[in-house]
Amino acid sequence: MKKILLACTGMSLVLLAGCASKPPAPVESAYIGQVPADPPKNPVISAEALKADSKSIAVTDIYFKKEGKNLTFVEETRTTTDNNISSTIVPKTIEVDADKANASAITGGANSSAFPVKFTDLSDPKATSPGTASPPVPVVDAATPSNSSSSTNAESMKRSGYQSNYEYGELRYLANPIRGLLIKSGYKVVQAKSTPAVPNQGDEYFDIVKRIKASDFGDADYVLYGVLAEVSSTDNVSDVPGTKSTSQQMTLEVTVDFNIVDTKTTQIIASFVASGEGKDVQIDGRDTGYKPSNAKLMKLASLDLAEDVRKHLADQNFITNNPGSAGQLRNLKTRLNDDASTLKVYK
Amino acid sequence: MNTKTIRLSAIALSVAALAACSGPQVRYGDAKAVETVNANYGSTDLQMIAEAMTRSLLQSKAISGSKDAPIVTLADVKNKTSEYIDTRVITDKIRTQLMKSGQVRFAVSVSEMQNQTEELKRQNQSGLYKNSTIAKTGNMQGAQYRIEGSIASIVKNTKDVKDVYYVFNLNLINNESGLLEWADEKEIRKTATR
Repeated sequence: MKKILLACTGMSLVLLAGCASKPPAPVESAYIGQVPADPPKNPVISAEALKADSKSIAVTDIYFKKEGKNLTFVEETRTTTDNNISSTIVPKTIEVDADKANASAITGGANSSAFPVKFTDLSDPKATSPGTASPPVPVVDAATPSNSSSSTNAESMKRSGYQSNYEYGELRYLANPIRGLLIKSGYKVVQAKSTPAVPNQGDEYFDIVKRIKASDFGDADYVLYGVLAEVSSTDNVSDVPGTKSTSQQMTLEVTVDFNIVDTKTTQIIASFVASGEGKDVQIDGRDTGYKPSNAKLMKLASLDLAEDVRKHLADQNFITNNPGSAGQLRNLKTRLNDDASTLKVYK
Repeated sequence: MNTKTIRLSAIALSVAALAACSGPQVRYGDAKAVETVNANYGSTDLQMIAEAMTRSLLQSKAISGSKDAPIVTLADVKNKTSEYIDTRVITDKIRTQLMKSGQVRFAVSVSEMQNQTEELKRQNQSGLYKNSTIAKTGNMQGAQYRIEGSIASIVKNTKDVKDVYYVFNLNLINNESGLLEWADEKEIRKTATR
């Protein structure tokens, strides 16, 4: 009887202890043998897409379109002797950058003294129609000796204008760091065929779909192409407050408009504007006549541009953050091993 | 004059000569002791101001609520009193105490920039240093906040009484937003009577 009583007491205690205990805690997330991958964010870059092989991408060199202007001077000397009129026309053409021409006397710009003539667009019929362009100014040649018996008169007329031309091409120095970051991100980078500009090239130079159809990018899944929006270099000197020194800052800045196109569907997967800056700072550089290294500035600008591209690609989920890091490589490997049909659930 | 008198005189002269050679008496005192020599600005005022301001600044939301130790720089403390006061000593003392707390990091102030730029110039532009060890130009860290303030006084005199009132004002300003993140003042009244 005593034994039964003791057994009942023991059982009751066990039951009470069972009721008093907390509910079992949820199983903590545990990863055994495998680190979970980042879920693929971009619908294109799915685990399925990357399962057997990494995707390939072609990166073009940076396209540019440069506007140039041919400045044309026409100097006509008309000599009148009695009833004879002879005329000598001397045309001169100087090719200058568009910005220099725009800053010339057309706008009363900073280069007015360098190009002290009013230019008109010779290809523009309105600009050259009578009444719109400034009339040629006859200049009487004072050096011409006058003759009382036979009257000789020399008049010099000057006309000037400009004709726009466009140069298309590829900058070969900026895209390599971008190719490098894509390789580190797990993409296979395919060499793109270069595109030489043809005579009288137009904006169809930037027609990437045409180039995809022409198989300029091999079997690449994507094409990353950039068009140079602007490149500028500055050289500024400023005082360093609290010191007797000055700081000379030379910068090269490039801004590029990028697009990534799916070669199968011609869908734009990512699109952004990226910029890169190469800067060389020299304390009291102006005093010492310091000259910056353009090669160094170009390298810094291209590296900075690649870094900006990386940020944009990560923002638009085309690559994961921190390409090349151990975590990223692990994730990439996991993603490559994953198959949509054998998805693992991590708790 | 006997021999004893001569001897005593000689000893007295020697003692007097030795005393003359020994110079003024020097003794160390307590640097923290209260100084009340006169009513002018003194070491006790400096210590009181620095201690009060540091304590208050460390309790401010900008400093105590910051995840990382914010970077601060010292700007001017204007002396609006009629006395000569080296205000830099006040801010340096506050800076030392803040640095010891570990809650704030300081960037070089404008007055220390000459040495900083000369060092950078020496390392970067002399061509004498190994490239990988050079402290490169363009990597200085900008301060998130600056500390600036003023000290002012009101002095009143009668024949027998001199009353001096000091007010020390300190502000913490966010350099990017221009917002005043913290401000405090320390008042000191000193009265000297004859």
